[in-house]
Amino acid sequence: MAAEKSQGALTGGQYEAEDVLADAEPWDPIETKLVVWSFVIAVVVLIIGLFIVPTSILN
Amino acid sequence: MEMIISHNGRDWVAENESLRVSAPTLELLDIRLTEKMRAGHMVARGQVKKVFMAFNNATIPQWIRQYAQHYFNRIVEVRG
Amino acid sequence: MTSVNRKWYSGMLTQEDWWAVWLGLFFFGLGLLSIAGVDLVGWAVYPKKWVFNVPEGGTGSISHAFYALGSKYSLTAKAFYKGLGWWSIIWTYVIFTIATCIGAYCMKWDLKRYFVGWTIIYFLTIATWFVGHHAFFAANKTNWHKYGLNFALSLGGGASFILALIIGLIIGNFFKGFASYLSEAAKPEWFIKTAIVFLGVKVGYLPIKAAATSAKLGHQMADLTGHLFLAGAVATIVAYMIFWPGVYLIARRIFKLPRKTAAVLGSGISICGVSAAVATGGAVRAKPVVSIMVSALVVVWAVIELVVLPGFFTHVWPGTSDPLVAGSAMGMAVKTDGADAAAGDLLDEFLRNKIEVETNGRVKWPEGVITTSAVMTKVWIDMFIGLWAFVLAMVWVYKIDRRPGETVMASEVWHRFPKFVLGYFTAWFIYLAIFFLNGAGAPEGMHVLKAAKAGAVPVEKGFRKLFFMLTFMSLGIITDFSKLAEAKFGRMVWVYFVALFLFIIPVAVIIAYLFHHGMTIPNIAG
Repeated sequence: MAAEKSQGALTGGQYEAEDVLADAEPWDPIETKLVVWSFVIAVVVLIIGLFIVPTSILN
Repeated sequence: MEMIISHNGRDWVAENESLRVSAPTLELLDIRLTEKMRAGHMVARGQVKKVFMAFNNATIPQWIRQYAQHYFNRIVEVRG
Repeated sequence: MTSVNRKWYSGMLTQEDWWAVWLGLFFFGLGLLSIAGVDLVGWAVYPKKWVFNVPEGGTGSISHAFYALGSKYSLTAKAFYKGLGWWSIIWTYVIFTIATCIGAYCMKWDLKRYFVGWTIIYFLTIATWFVGHHAFFAANKTNWHKYGLNFALSLGGGASFILALIIGLIIGNFFKGFASYLSEAAKPEWFIKTAIVFLGVKVGYLPIKAAATSAKLGHQMADLTGHLFLAGAVATIVAYMIFWPGVYLIARRIFKLPRKTAAVLGSGISICGVSAAVATGGAVRAKPVVSIMVSALVVVWAVIELVVLPGFFTHVWPGTSDPLVAGSAMGMAVKTDGADAAAGDLLDEFLRNKIEVETNGRVKWPEGVITTSAVMTKVWIDMFIGLWAFVLAMVWVYKIDRRPGETVMASEVWHRFPKFVLGYFTAWFIYLAIFFLNGAGAPEGMHVLKAAKAGAVPVEKGFRKLFFMLTFMSLGIITDFSKLAEAKFGRMVWVYFVALFLFIIPVAVIIAYLFHHGMTIPNIAG
């Protein structure tokens, strides 16, 4: 009971790496899209931010 | 229909007072749920029933709950 | 036991996040009463620097090592609070024991274990606060002569933080049974979220404090906090949108991890650590064990960052030349609210002492501005992760897993929203409103601002510092370094190491520099 309380319904046996580290799927084009779009958002927000934030290095 | 979803370390488990399904993946869980609901006449042929699954936060160890209070809720449409 | 987020108000009485709001706002409300002439928070305990042998004409008597802040700041009950002295420790203990035990009871914790654990942690923390304020640790060359010393470590209040962390780590790593018992009360994230609500009082109070020097300085301070708010928001979004895909790429392409593990690691290592790992794990529908394992790693690495970065930013770069670059970089680099705010406050102590020493006392920075810059970026990311998790949920559910019939609900954004932030902004904006609605430093409104100060200081200084101390101690207690050596974490440990030190920290510093370079902290010396 005490172990369950401190660990939730999941008990020690589930802390195995097998589930977490194994069976990497092949890279999928959707992942490329996700990564590229994240970087694009970063660049767009960076450029806008540099102009609008009064304390930015541009201002 | 509302269910509570949790994970027992091996399987996802979705349950309420009248139904309990478990499966190692969510895909399989949804398939088994559909089968059980059809077999139990909980969804009529041709009908679409929304099942709301709220995650049981007690699944997450107590020391982690102070950092994050929500895992996920999901809605699954079950077709009869 | 079942606990679900079904309605928008679910968890209001059962989650730590909400209890940080209730505790924070309750004491904030008590503090506000000072404007009506009622001082109910002056009992807040606070330490002073001390020495065993006070030199003639000097200061630092042990009998005054703890005092009630009301004895200095109260307008209506100064004499009463003056009489408390060391008893303020007990007053603070009793009142916070009642308050936090009500929270623990509502959250259905083991109340007896919480009470005993809390009591041990509280008094250990007070003892550490006392030792850390010995003038040898805390004084600097501008004042060590007052304590009869020719040398001191110049760590300011940082010494107490370091000692609290060390004692916590000793318990967490060498007395694991004891640490496990204390874990019911060692809740760094709960303590720091409450402290961050108290910090909201500080941010709102800073212009009031500065206005005591001049109205112009008050305005400067209000502008500065506003700028930190805006710069922190933009810097955080830019940083996160670089961090997450970067770590995802490293985890997937170099370390060949599965998608969901890489996504959870991407969030966990990126900025907000455990909360992000859990939010992302849920969003991509990973088995909870993925988030749990990443979280276990995050808390250990966060403490390593907490130990390394404040010293690095103080003594290597950027030092006192760009204190707010250092603060905001801290917020973007150090994982978990607790470790970040703790690291920010440590940096605050280090840099304030350093500038005072460098300028021989001619420049003094108000306490808490650097901490605010570190917490501001973290608060933004805590809010942003809810949106990002929503985006990831849609990508995973609709594009990657493509389970027929599954819908992602917009209400997920609210369920993942960090509620303590509501307390932080409420406290901040109300004190800011008090400043502007009462002349913004003009002489006719100063009597109201002085009355507000009497209630604000015990909260933003006394309670906040106490809860920071409790955070340091608890962080140490729950951190077990041997976890890093456990084989089951495998290459996740190395993904973390590579991503953190070669990618996250350098990028965080660059982005902090782009948005905060040149920002100055008003000088309040004389």
